[in-house]
Amino acid sequence: MKERLAIIDGIRTPFCKAGGVLSALTADDLGAIAIRELMARTAFPPGQLDELIAGNVAQPIEAANVARVIALKAGLPASLIASSVHRNCASGMEAITTAANRIFSDEATAIITVGCESMSNIPLMYGRSMTALFARLMRAKTTWQRLATWASFRPTMLTPVVGVQVGLTDPVCGLNMGQTAEILAREFAVTRQDQDEFALMSHQRAVAAQARLAEEIVPVALPPAYAQVQSVDDGPRASQDLAALAKLRPYFDKLCGTVTVGNSCPLTDGAAALLVMSERKARELGLSPLGYLRDYAYAALDGRRMGLGPVFATAKLAAKTGLSLKDFDLIEINEAFAAQAVACERAFASESFARAELGRTQALGQIDRARLNVNGGAIALGHPVGASGARLVLTLLKELRRRSAKRGLATLCIGGGQGAALALEVS
Amino acid sequence: MNPPVTIAAPTSAPVTSSSSATARREDDRMNAFTIKISDGIARVLIDLPGEKVNIFSAEVVAELGEVVRQLQGMPELRAAVFESGKPGVFIAGADIRELQTIATRSDALAKAQAGQRLFQRLATLPMPTIAVIDGACMGGGLEFALACTYRIVSDEDKTSLALPEVTLGIIPGWGGTQRLPRLIGVTAALDMILSGKPVNARKAVKLGLADGCSARAFLPGAVRAFLAEALTPIGSTAIVARRPHGWRRQLLEGNPAGRLLLFRTASAQLVRKTRGLMPAPLSALAVVRETISHELESGLEIEAEHFADLATTPSCKALIDCFFANELARKEGVLSKGVAEGKSEARPLHAAVLGAGVMGGGIAWAFANHGMPVRLKDLAWEAVAKGLKTAHDYDQQLVRIRKLTPAAANQSMLRISGTLDYRGFSAIDVVVEAVVEDLAIKRKVLAELEGGIRDDCLVCTNTSSLSVSAMAEAMRHPDRLVGMHFFNPVNRMPLVEVVPGQRTSPACVAEVAGLVRRLGKTAVVVKDCPGFLVNRILLPYLNEAARLLEDGAGLAEIDRVIYDFGMPMGPFTLSDDVGLDVGYKVAKILAAHYGERMKVADALRIAYEEMHLLGTKGGRGFYLHDGKEALPNQELINRVAAASGRHPAHGSPIASDDIRDRCLLIMVNEAVRCLEEQVVAKPAILDLAMIMGTGFPPQRGGLLHYANQLGSRFVADRLKQLSDRCGSRFAPCQTIIDLAREGSPFPT
Repeated sequence: MKERLAIIDGIRTPFCKAGGVLSALTADDLGAIAIRELMARTAFPPGQLDELIAGNVAQPIEAANVARVIALKAGLPASLIASSVHRNCASGMEAITTAANRIFSDEATAIITVGCESMSNIPLMYGRSMTALFARLMRAKTTWQRLATWASFRPTMLTPVVGVQVGLTDPVCGLNMGQTAEILAREFAVTRQDQDEFALMSHQRAVAAQARLAEEIVPVALPPAYAQVQSVDDGPRASQDLAALAKLRPYFDKLCGTVTVGNSCPLTDGAAALLVMSERKARELGLSPLGYLRDYAYAALDGRRMGLGPVFATAKLAAKTGLSLKDFDLIEINEAFAAQAVACERAFASESFARAELGRTQALGQIDRARLNVNGGAIALGHPVGASGARLVLTLLKELRRRSAKRGLATLCIGGGQGAALALEVS
Repeated sequence: MNPPVTIAAPTSAPVTSSSSATARREDDRMNAFTIKISDGIARVLIDLPGEKVNIFSAEVVAELGEVVRQLQGMPELRAAVFESGKPGVFIAGADIRELQTIATRSDALAKAQAGQRLFQRLATLPMPTIAVIDGACMGGGLEFALACTYRIVSDEDKTSLALPEVTLGIIPGWGGTQRLPRLIGVTAALDMILSGKPVNARKAVKLGLADGCSARAFLPGAVRAFLAEALTPIGSTAIVARRPHGWRRQLLEGNPAGRLLLFRTASAQLVRKTRGLMPAPLSALAVVRETISHELESGLEIEAEHFADLATTPSCKALIDCFFANELARKEGVLSKGVAEGKSEARPLHAAVLGAGVMGGGIAWAFANHGMPVRLKDLAWEAVAKGLKTAHDYDQQLVRIRKLTPAAANQSMLRISGTLDYRGFSAIDVVVEAVVEDLAIKRKVLAELEGGIRDDCLVCTNTSSLSVSAMAEAMRHPDRLVGMHFFNPVNRMPLVEVVPGQRTSPACVAEVAGLVRRLGKTAVVVKDCPGFLVNRILLPYLNEAARLLEDGAGLAEIDRVIYDFGMPMGPFTLSDDVGLDVGYKVAKILAAHYGERMKVADALRIAYEEMHLLGTKGGRGFYLHDGKEALPNQELINRVAAASGRHPAHGSPIASDDIRDRCLLIMVNEAVRCLEEQVVAKPAILDLAMIMGTGFPPQRGGLLHYANQLGSRFVADRLKQLSDRCGSRFAPCQTIIDLAREGSPFPT
């Protein structure tokens, strides 16, 4: 990228466990709440927006092109175009980078990007056999045909297809995301102890960061009773300890696995929105942006090792920009699983990995944990898949500012075998 | 501009199947109607020159008579089609102004009979007639359409069919009570006639009121196709056969026993709804019941008699005056029309509400519900959530009665965003302050607010008792502060008092009045005096009820007398609903300003200061709101009795007349004072405000109308008498004394 993308400001809803307090709100409601607050706080004239781009994974069936639904629900002008983007777990980042492309190809000057997900509202579906039965019923013309069709009904046909489960399974390699984490745990010898310690760190840091994170959160009054206001993420546990984590049974490989629900990220609801434009435009308008996107890279790899996506993407970003790990004051690696995050740390530091897999002569570099996920990560805060990418950018920029630091790296692994890396700056 | 060219068919025009024949009429008598004949079909266009809508004034009715006469003279015509030249309106009804001028019963009778005869001639034309209804079709307009052989409607939102006569204190007098039940059945007809509520195109088809429905874009084709069918014997039978004949209707209406049941139920429902206080719907019901088994001719006679009985009643006059006062208020609210329409209507408005209590939440709801985004600010998120809950409840009430879709309710809620600070207020166009009623706090809030808003942002205060001028003193731009007094509950109360302070600019007042209209409410501009208009008049009434309690009248008895008078609830029920804390606070402020005549009644002081009762919200007030039924608070009654030195069991009973007059005449006295002080521009607006703001029975026309029914002499004498007996607060004000001396009526 020649010019930087200015990120004027951002806001997000609290991230809350799926099936919990935010479950009455759909992905588009959550996106609209975040955007309405963003527009209100920035007081940016809605008429000057050129597009809304929304990243969302589960694509609610009642809101095709969720971006347009969000735009209208957020009260943006009816004349605003809106498109939805999908790069699985990086959809929130994809919205930002797509916006950058639009802006630097002169198709737009100011864009709202949003990442949103309501994993509470991912539906259960009828399976193939039941769907086929309905289709036959629809074609049946006589009562006799109808009866005959019903006669083929078996109760097992009612077993639902759980949308969330299917969504979190790679249809090509056939592995569930947790199973890919088990593969990395073995490859990099990430022990159960290593994973649980990492998970505990995530919780401790997130709990300690509550007040800081509140700066990026708009409290949400919870419908339909409106008796409660959710103003913090509900994942982080102050009382978390290693003993409790150690008690949990492996979830994905019950026989000899290491990945538990305690050292994985939970299913989560949430949304994060950003207002972006070119650096030049921001200067013209006299705005002081929260920060800038300097450059970015996406990389692809074997879906069975999708968790290493950040390493591949960062290598590509380094090659593209000449930046090295030392140049980043803070680093975010999205914590899909502790095993996966620790595996990334080790791959970053490994020269042999760099030679064999990244085509580099040197390792990308050792990551100092004091600079990694300093406000906790998805294991504690949760991972609303479409929203996380946007949250990483928002949280990282706010923290860089707080520390008067300069540059940060936001990376994320992507189900299906990709990785994303964004170089962010605040000055 | 050229005068409108009126074209009508010469009575002797040869009608051929291929040529179209139009001609100019010799005389200029016919303005509203144009007849075009083509292919044996007469198309009658109804288009009143120079008017926005078509109405049946006497002149237009006379012209229609001429049209019908011409059609009668052309038996060779195959059909006549009536269409409107006004977009969105077929015929809006009879001219209400003419209704207002009816002086005697025989005038009214003649008016009804003339219309009936005309529509009878229309109904008995040799050719079939079709009303093509694309827009509002009201009252006399619908009675006209009913006299046609067929009706076709467009499915536009504006298409709306109703017989709203009862809302004006009369009944349909041009055959509506006869033809409607015969067409769509008694049950459906009574639903329409007794409520006056409109039905849309979909419902009209379902009821059999319309024989066809089409989108406006396809209406000409639909009319052609309909004609093609209607003009064949089989087709015309088929059309009539298609009108719904539900088994339920047959079961209920097809036999005397069913009809008896039907009318009993309808009558019980009506009495429950109107408490038997509204003569018009009762009369309408009686007419339908009486005439249902009659021939049309004799049915029409009975209808005309009933119409004539009602048209000169005070309640009819009161309702018609109320209608015009409403029209007046629409215009009155706008001081300089250009400002209000040019500015506030055009730009998309961003609103903010300070304070998320019941009023704040309600006001936020009003903005959101009318498509305006609103920031709801309070000091804590828990408070904001309460405001959101209020808005959510109001939305859900509408969803339950299907006035709002769940999706629209969701949208409306998403328009309200909470905040604890003034971030982003630079984008706000109007702020309504609804924080606690405390001058110091309000001043502080307003000063603070001005730091966060643009200079052209309008600022309103929802104060109910504080001075707008006093509040404005804290502001850098006092000219932009306007009182905007909503009533509780905001979703139900149609009135908003707009209060200019001493330094408020007229442009801002006009903008607020325009805004009130955008919120679907009626604006009444009133002077900045304590209590403004409505509360200033209402509080002496609540106070007087409390004094009656002190004097030994029964609590429930007082409420009953007032309820029977027609108020929506008794004074103590109202006090409890408003909240005794709120009521007491306002009462004290008014007492401090108006002195002796508004001295706070002891009973109120005891209830709030000694017993700390809060009313409905606290569970205990003048009534105990524990169980299903509210019971009088005996402890309070005893204490009040003890304080006035009476044994509670030995209260001297007070006559209902005294209860009623003390409560109502003290209001009349204050209302006339408000006129003296020009708190409100016109007496009609005062009456309207009392009807809309307090639920004063509309059929009584408001306080001044009511006083007129009593007569100024009676009012003055009675006030003097009460003044001698109960205290100087009843002493009639100078205007009342003057009016009584001259024997003149109260201004209305």
